[in-house]
Amino acid sequence: MPDPLLDIQGLSIDYEVGAGVFHAITDVSLQLTSGRVLGIVGETGSGKSTLGHAIPRLLPEPPARIRSGRILFRGIDILQLPRWKLPHLRGTGIGMIFQEPINSLNPAYRIFDQVAEAVSVRKLREAGMAPTLFPVVEPHDYSRSKPVNTGSALLHAVSPRLPGRGSGIMREALKAEVLDYLKLVRINDPETILDLYPHELSGGMRQRIMIAMALSAKPSLLIADEPTSALDVTIQAQVLTLMKELMDEVQTSILFVSHDLGVIAEMADEVGVLYAGHLVEFGPVEEVYRNPRHPYTKLLLRSVPNRYKTDGPLPALSGSVPSLAKVPPGCPFHPRCPLARETCTKDPGPVLQRAQGAATATHSAACYFSEEVATIA
Amino acid sequence: MAERGLRAQRTSPESVATPASRTSATALREFLSGFLRVLRANPLTFVGFVLVLIISFVALLVVLVPVVTQLFLGHAVLLTPYDPNALTTDYGQPPSGSHFFGTDNLGGDVFSRILTALPLDLAIGFGITGFALLVGGGLGLVAGYWDKPGTLGGVVSVFILRVTDVFLAFPSLVLALAIAASLGRGTGPSMLAVLLTWWPYYVRLTRGEVLAVKNQPYIMAARAAGLSEVRILVRHVLRNLLEPLLVYYTLDIGTVLVTFSTISFVGIGVPQSIPEWGGMVESYGRFLLTLPWTVLSAGGAIFVTVLAFSLFGDGLRDILDPRSRRALVLASVPSTMMAKAATAAEA
Repeated sequence: MPDPLLDIQGLSIDYEVGAGVFHAITDVSLQLTSGRVLGIVGETGSGKSTLGHAIPRLLPEPPARIRSGRILFRGIDILQLPRWKLPHLRGTGIGMIFQEPINSLNPAYRIFDQVAEAVSVRKLREAGMAPTLFPVVEPHDYSRSKPVNTGSALLHAVSPRLPGRGSGIMREALKAEVLDYLKLVRINDPETILDLYPHELSGGMRQRIMIAMALSAKPSLLIADEPTSALDVTIQAQVLTLMKELMDEVQTSILFVSHDLGVIAEMADEVGVLYAGHLVEFGPVEEVYRNPRHPYTKLLLRSVPNRYKTDGPLPALSGSVPSLAKVPPGCPFHPRCPLARETCTKDPGPVLQRAQGAATATHSAACYFSEEVATIA
Repeated sequence: MAERGLRAQRTSPESVATPASRTSATALREFLSGFLRVLRANPLTFVGFVLVLIISFVALLVVLVPVVTQLFLGHAVLLTPYDPNALTTDYGQPPSGSHFFGTDNLGGDVFSRILTALPLDLAIGFGITGFALLVGGGLGLVAGYWDKPGTLGGVVSVFILRVTDVFLAFPSLVLALAIAASLGRGTGPSMLAVLLTWWPYYVRLTRGEVLAVKNQPYIMAARAAGLSEVRILVRHVLRNLLEPLLVYYTLDIGTVLVTFSTISFVGIGVPQSIPEWGGMVESYGRFLLTLPWTVLSAGGAIFVTVLAFSLFGDGLRDILDPRSRRALVLASVPSTMMAKAATAAEA
């Protein structure tokens, strides 16, 4: 098996705030192979966004504190990097799409300036004029974007003038590429969009711009943190379709964080299920959805509204997610689990291991009784 | 469709025809035409803008005319109709054709004195606020952006803020008066006194704005895009502070003038031999009932200047903020033109 692009080992993250210590992530290990899409699914407060933000070290520290673990990205432990080196990693190494497209674009700049900034960050690194942790390789097929005249862009990149409306040559050099990326995310009439301010665009358009910006840096890993949850359903569908098409075109590795089981099923190759900061199940999407090996996954899938069911209440999980300040001892799910026994309440809880009765070797679950999960009605 | 139509209508024909060849000249023209529209849409801004233009132009003339005439004619010609410091027997005259604002108790022409004081008062207003903006704004930026406790930045931030608190603990006018009184009478010492009390407000203002901006998602997005902290601070944080800071700055020019005038008014500011509006209000104050035109003219000069800069500052915010600028432009386009543009775009 090739070295994974991203290898998280035993990651634990706490939030230390006045009210106490919240264990947002507890002992999470997962791998993402190059070119694959890994979905992370979980309820609100399960720590999925914390996990997504921890990888490019975007968590505010404090209050967040990374207690233990390693995040190996292309063989380098991100947690050991000095703070000043982190910008060299972001953008071209690890790109990110955020939850709130409404506020993720700077309201003071035109769309061109913002996309051009992302493009120029990569161009400077490609030319070796800005420090980066990894030589910028082009592992992905960006066949839709034509090569641009890098030479003249570089000539002007050395001048401290920033790409703006006034700096003509810089603008011309970057414009072709910016337009390519706007076309890549299926924006109609990109010429007009270039000169608009973010507040003149709809939420779906802004999220497309964000996706274009993230892709224009050509990251080896793209983290999408609930990119569609702030959009209404029709726009959500459009953006998801777009991302799905882009995955085929761009072939980048994606960590897709969502609370929506349907979205994950649509997008991901592998899925990790987070519950109260614990990774309770991990495996190929097909396998996990068809044949869940953890009671939580099973009950979660059962509670998805089913259009064939016409009478009776929707099945719901009893109880609620435990407070991250007081995660139950042993298996965090035992107070709500129909299979729970004496052993489940004792520390240390079950660890993620190959699930009993699973079809593939990569399907693992953190449950002592995973072969009994199928018996839950 | 309507928006695209408007856009096409707003930009100049050249840039629509060849959008690829947008030059700085067309960009400038576009900016100016938008600027004019904003002025037209908001008449008060227009009034403020014109007043500021006139005031600045006159101040420039008052300074330049004697210098230029000295150079070319060999003797200085004053722009003012009379020598501002002349003592004449023509004292106590009410406003007339020969003395626009009358004469004072010593026979000086009030109009000439007010005109002579204009450059000094503007220099005081711009100088003090400019210094406060640079020093206070810079310190506030650093204190606001690198304020994480337990780091070097956090220590520096706390230090800056505590020093600021010491200055803010005193009412600024009282502190300025105390400093001015201990430094002695004169233009320089009084300016220094106001200068020393003025910057802490800018530290507080800037820091507050930085704290609000730096937690915006777009700052996190900029960080995720791989930009360095300094670049984020300059390009993304500072740009979003520009509007509130500039507006506060222009509004503040008036406040500084009033404060400085107060120092002159209590008699420890500019000596009476140098015309200065606050000093004039002070020295003419006792003639309010007998020679009202003297004190009212000096007070009126302060009033008009402060008002002009306040209106200008208000308008500046509308012009600088992309949101309100676009709203103003839309408001200023006659609805018939909007309909025409929309149909043109549909066709």
